[in-house]
Amino acid sequence: MRPEFFGIIRSPFLWGVIVLFAVLGQWASPYHLGIATQTMLYIALALAWAIVGGFAGQLSIAHNVFVALGALLASALFLRLGINMWVGLVLCAALSALIGVFFAYLDSKFSLGHLSFALVTLAFGEVGMLIVAGWDFVGGASGLSLPRDQGRLLNFEFGGARGYFWAALALATVYLLINYAILHSRLGFYLRTLRDNEAAAQAVGVYPFRNKAIAMAISAAMTSVAGTLYARFSNFVDPSFLASPTLSIEIILIATIGGLTTPLGPAVAAIVLVPFSELLRGWLGGQLPGLSHIIYGFLIVAVILASPRGLVPLLVKIFRQRGGKDVATISMQKGA
Amino acid sequence: MSPDINGRPSGGLIEPILRVHGATKRFGGLTAVDRVSFEVRPAEIVALIGPNGAGKTTLFSLISGFQPLDEGSVSFQAKDVTNFAPARMAHLGLARSFQIVQVFADLTVHEAVTAAALMRHSMGAALRKADETLALVGLSEKGANVTPELSLQDRKLLEVAKCLATEPKLILLDEVMAGLTMSEAEAVLKVVRRLRSEGMTFVLVEHVMPIVMSIADRIVVMNFGQKIADGSPAEIIEDRFVRDAYFGEDLHA
Repeated sequence: MRPEFFGIIRSPFLWGVIVLFAVLGQWASPYHLGIATQTMLYIALALAWAIVGGFAGQLSIAHNVFVALGALLASALFLRLGINMWVGLVLCAALSALIGVFFAYLDSKFSLGHLSFALVTLAFGEVGMLIVAGWDFVGGASGLSLPRDQGRLLNFEFGGARGYFWAALALATVYLLINYAILHSRLGFYLRTLRDNEAAAQAVGVYPFRNKAIAMAISAAMTSVAGTLYARFSNFVDPSFLASPTLSIEIILIATIGGLTTPLGPAVAAIVLVPFSELLRGWLGGQLPGLSHIIYGFLIVAVILASPRGLVPLLVKIFRQRGGKDVATISMQKGA
Repeated sequence: MSPDINGRPSGGLIEPILRVHGATKRFGGLTAVDRVSFEVRPAEIVALIGPNGAGKTTLFSLISGFQPLDEGSVSFQAKDVTNFAPARMAHLGLARSFQIVQVFADLTVHEAVTAAALMRHSMGAALRKADETLALVGLSEKGANVTPELSLQDRKLLEVAKCLATEPKLILLDEVMAGLTMSEAEAVLKVVRRLRSEGMTFVLVEHVMPIVMSIADRIVVMNFGQKIADGSPAEIIEDRFVRDAYFGEDLHA
């Protein structure tokens, strides 16, 4: 582990923000807690995706399959077979990791380029959606309803809006630390060399399949776990949302807009975009349905034009000019 | 400086570190490398020369595992390594540089060398190894720069540093002097000479003849995929086939 990692986990700024969120959750209304929980889950999903999409530079559009597995299969195992959702969470994460390794195998076996990899994973994303819709065990097209939450932690119940917010905040925090740990470890170095130039990476002894498969497995398992929490949080597990490739696109959008060079990117982008999108829909949804999407779209285009490498590199530049050292350290920007 | 002072083995008594036998590679109807055989002994500097398209870079790719051989064999340190994966060749101690010298564009110089050093070291040791290696090639000052910010000369030195950080037995350098001025090339050559005096073996593809003549112990000449000559610089310059194929224009100009 590179020494920078220990600097990050000791960063007062980082922990200050996390504690602030946790404390704010104490007073927030259930409506706002719902939005905040969703934000944290999107942070988790975007961070999980960024291990493959950011560090390894592979545009996977199949991540909705892993969300669907974690959400639908874990729920179905619980509802149909009475399998505890904690156990389901682990099983689905393991299954997702295996499927992730399969994607990495396809990539390696057929030497898929960036575009082919994106298209192949998109195809799997679509296939995943069709399988879910046609498979009654996981609820088919109509989805599944989980029983009311009674706050029993051993049954994967977190007891109301506040409980889910804290669970999602904890998950997002753990994922943020995992991302930093990978970035500053051997695996992170290897993935970044593979992303920049696979041949040159091999020349310094990096095995492409092995490392990409590990990244895919970690990313897929993390995505699945976030999916399981999403299912329990929303009670009603809607396949048209959780299994759809559109969800993959949303995740990719958040991660990319935030900036892929630092784990802070996906986190900051989700904190800005998810509440904005939700609140916008709340304000405008009644009179002008669709307008919120247009405004949201314009905002995204504006960010990309202003800073093609993402929101966080832009913010770091501003902070740097005002002498904020801590932010620059945890964002890991070199000459941004 | 005479190479013999460096304790370089002479004659055929010592087992070659690299032995290429009948290496052949075809691309469709074109035979890019045609039954090429040669040997490299430890602590030797062998230059591979020949006109553009003679198959030099393809031969490098065959040796380092980036392309499979159609026929023939490669053995490295007395072990058959024909068609081994490139990463495996690196682990065995064969390093290669690339002509396109902006390979890890998003990594800093120090990070790129650390990535290479991780092949044989844990993170802490790799970071120190990167410090040492950058000092050795004279890039310590540029550690925090990303590759696109480097001059061409520094990029070439970074290529050498990346090779070195993997602690290889043999380094294949693909046109590391190309595009450099004579004084810039001299900076790279100095590093190569010093490493050889410490026992490192080099095979280099090079176009700049004065450099080849000054640094190589032995020269292998290729033309149209075939080896047409193999000998000391003095022998090569006298070789009639080589003159016709390669030096002709230069010498008569």
